[in-house]
Amino acid sequence: MGAAVTPLLEIRELTRKFGGLTATDAVSFDVQEHEILSVIGPNGAGKSTLFKMMTSFLATTSGEVLFRGKRISDLKPHIVARMGIVRTFQETSIFKNMTVRESVLIAQHLRSTASLSGYFFGSRAARSDEDSFGRRADEVLSFLGISEIANERASNLPQGHLRALGIAIGLSTDPVALLLDEPFAGMNQDETMKMVSLVKSVRDRGVTVLLVEHDMAAVMTISDRIIVLNFGKKIAEGTPAQIQSDENVIEAYLGSSDDEIGI
Amino acid sequence: MEQVIANGLYLGAQYAMIALGLTLIFALMNVLNFAHGQMYVIGGFVTYTFYGQFEIPFIFALLASCATLAILGALIERFLFGPVIRRSSREESTMLLAAGIAFLLDAVILLVFGEKQRGVPKIVNGVFNWDFRIIMPYDRILICVIAILSIVAFISFMHFSKTGRALRALAQDRVAAELMGVNVKRYSMIGFALGAMLAGLVGGLLVTITGVNLGMGGPTSIKAFLMVMIGGAGVISGAIAGGFILGMLEAVGLAVLSQYGDITYLAIFIALMVFLAIRPQGLMGKPWG
Amino acid sequence: MSLKDARRILALAAFLISVFWLIPYLIAVSGYWNFYFTLTSVALLSVASAGVWLTFYIGRINIGQGAFALIGAYVSAILVTKAGISFWISLPIAGLFAGMVAVLIGLPILRLRGVYFAMITLVLTEVVRLAALALPITNGAKGIVSIPLPSELSIFGIVLIPDFSAIENPKLAFYYTACALMVACYAAMYRIVNSRLGQLCRSMQQNEELALSVGVNIAYLRVIIFAISSFFGGVGGAMFGAIAQSVYPSSFVVKDSIDFMLNCFLGGLGYVFGPMLGTLVLYFGWDLLFELGKYQLLIYSCVLILVILVLPNGLLSVRLSRILWARQ
Repeated sequence: MGAAVTPLLEIRELTRKFGGLTATDAVSFDVQEHEILSVIGPNGAGKSTLFKMMTSFLATTSGEVLFRGKRISDLKPHIVARMGIVRTFQETSIFKNMTVRESVLIAQHLRSTASLSGYFFGSRAARSDEDSFGRRADEVLSFLGISEIANERASNLPQGHLRALGIAIGLSTDPVALLLDEPFAGMNQDETMKMVSLVKSVRDRGVTVLLVEHDMAAVMTISDRIIVLNFGKKIAEGTPAQIQSDENVIEAYLGSSDDEIGI
Repeated sequence: MEQVIANGLYLGAQYAMIALGLTLIFALMNVLNFAHGQMYVIGGFVTYTFYGQFEIPFIFALLASCATLAILGALIERFLFGPVIRRSSREESTMLLAAGIAFLLDAVILLVFGEKQRGVPKIVNGVFNWDFRIIMPYDRILICVIAILSIVAFISFMHFSKTGRALRALAQDRVAAELMGVNVKRYSMIGFALGAMLAGLVGGLLVTITGVNLGMGGPTSIKAFLMVMIGGAGVISGAIAGGFILGMLEAVGLAVLSQYGDITYLAIFIALMVFLAIRPQGLMGKPWG
Repeated sequence: MSLKDARRILALAAFLISVFWLIPYLIAVSGYWNFYFTLTSVALLSVASAGVWLTFYIGRINIGQGAFALIGAYVSAILVTKAGISFWISLPIAGLFAGMVAVLIGLPILRLRGVYFAMITLVLTEVVRLAALALPITNGAKGIVSIPLPSELSIFGIVLIPDFSAIENPKLAFYYTACALMVACYAAMYRIVNSRLGQLCRSMQQNEELALSVGVNIAYLRVIIFAISSFFGGVGGAMFGAIAQSVYPSSFVVKDSIDFMLNCFLGGLGYVFGPMLGTLVLYFGWDLLFELGKYQLLIYSCVLILVILVLPNGLLSVRLSRILWARQ
């Protein structure tokens, strides 16, 4: 993996303090194009804070995030999203009263070419936008195998479909990198395996995937590389095999309950 | 200068009490009590009726105001807010209900007490005069002292009594409080009654100075909202701070801006907007959403 | 054309015919000329309520529409009386001015949500009233009175709108103008809601964070929507001032702001035409109760509370508008 020339994302000395508490402490790592990179660590290790800073949802205390050499931290979230770094949320975070297809349509907003008044008056750009959004929405839904629920209301969906919807929303933005927040949480073996293959197929479309996850088994099968955080500090980085035998990691996880490790 | 500070303290003490009641209700039930000003007016009218008309000693009239509002508050919580909150999670429903209750109380005030401005005899005569630097009637000083004592009493009640501690637990986390064995239904009612009682107490105190009339309800609610926003919604220290800050601002505004007409509140509002742009959660509020 | 479209067009035609022909005809036959004033008020109030509905559409409870209506009324009145500008030109200016104020105020306060936004908009209503009392240009508590009726509007010598003071029945003229405004306003709303703009608004209403993460510039969008909403308020208020031929600081107060909000809730938040229906029902309800004299407010508030108690999620309004919808 280390052979790539310029990394897609460079995280440099990223630090965030909340009052006296340091949530992430000078974390640095690179993300290569087309890889699946997982960030793991016990509760409160600073994983979510890290993702929030990488998408400018949260201001940094110090340090920076570079995307293809350009700084993307401490901007506006929607601007970072438009550059192609898109974050999805846990399943509770959806457009509750929209259908699956509507949600996916909205998610393509950042690729729109028409202005707001163009949409109001139905300009040519707006109409061509709507056409291409529609086509692309159908394509994304069939790619994820959820075409049959296109007209279901999101609030009526079972959990498995909700996750798929979350990924569909993320994927519709045509991202360069997709940041998934605990995509496997609360899933059984079967669902997890389906999700794993889904995430892999997303990567095969050329999207770089980052995930924050607790489910160790899934992380070990899916990841090209893993970053381990503990108390806000990066304590290890490497392939799943390297991580599994890393003493720091074992020590960090021994301190927490077996349940959280999941292996 | 000293006069302005004294006026500010006097206004601040009463404002803080109004804001305390509002913020207590907000913290406990996430209800924005539009009817708070009307409760204040009812408190004023009850004291007027007992003290001004029946000539019962002021202190008993004041207690009657407190009791009336506490009962009214308990009833409103028990039969109106309680059921609506349990059945609907939407913020709009309670806001709608609060608006309806404000109208209802206005209608009740109109029918029971009429629409005339009412005043009562002074409780203490005489004017305090410190070398013409501070001039303040004794009754205002007395009211201010009672208000501050009530605030102290309220805070100690919230901190040291069992009920107060239960209320604070409830305000902090409803679900956790329920798990810890706090009777949520009962304490919601007590909390609402307490908040309403504070409004009634201020109404009863101030009727001796400013009198009372039907139209005072709405503007009082609005001032209370301002204070709560300055201090941070749902925080007791914030309500007190907001009350005293608004009192001071008003006193300073009246002294400095009076030559430009009555633009004090316009200036305060603009200042508040700038302030909220920097700190949306208010002075003491916790960051949210 | 699908069946749905055909029904929609039929409903629209029926609505336009009844508003612009049937109602004036019935009034002429029955001789209830005062009815015009009621209906004109309903039309204008429903324009202002439409604005409140639109702010709700981006997930904000707006109790400040009275402020913008008052601003609009004063801007138009001042332009007509002091600058001698034609009312028809002052009307859009009033709306735009209200919209501009909304942008200035909206930038900081639209960051607030829920109860906080509701509180500050309510305070805003009171502050604008106090400002109208204090500022020299608004003439304090005396207000601006004897505003001339709207004058002729013509382009290149072609008379578009005749001079209202020269018409034998200005009430009818005001009725037509107000209804035309209402129709234009709701057509715009319908278009907003059913275009991609509406989708964006809904995405904000339901989940601001997620909308942000898919690249929606919510800060910009909510200011635009708030400005449009206040534009409606300003235009409605300006027209109101022209009909009453006077504006006072008490022309629009907190009670009006709350009423605008109630109109929306009662009519149904899920329907573009909800605020129109809500305004009609509440205004007529209030008017009917006038017979009860001093019990008017008591009955009104009790009915209101009962509706909320029995149907806390506003089901009545939703079902009511659904039934009406099906009938049309």
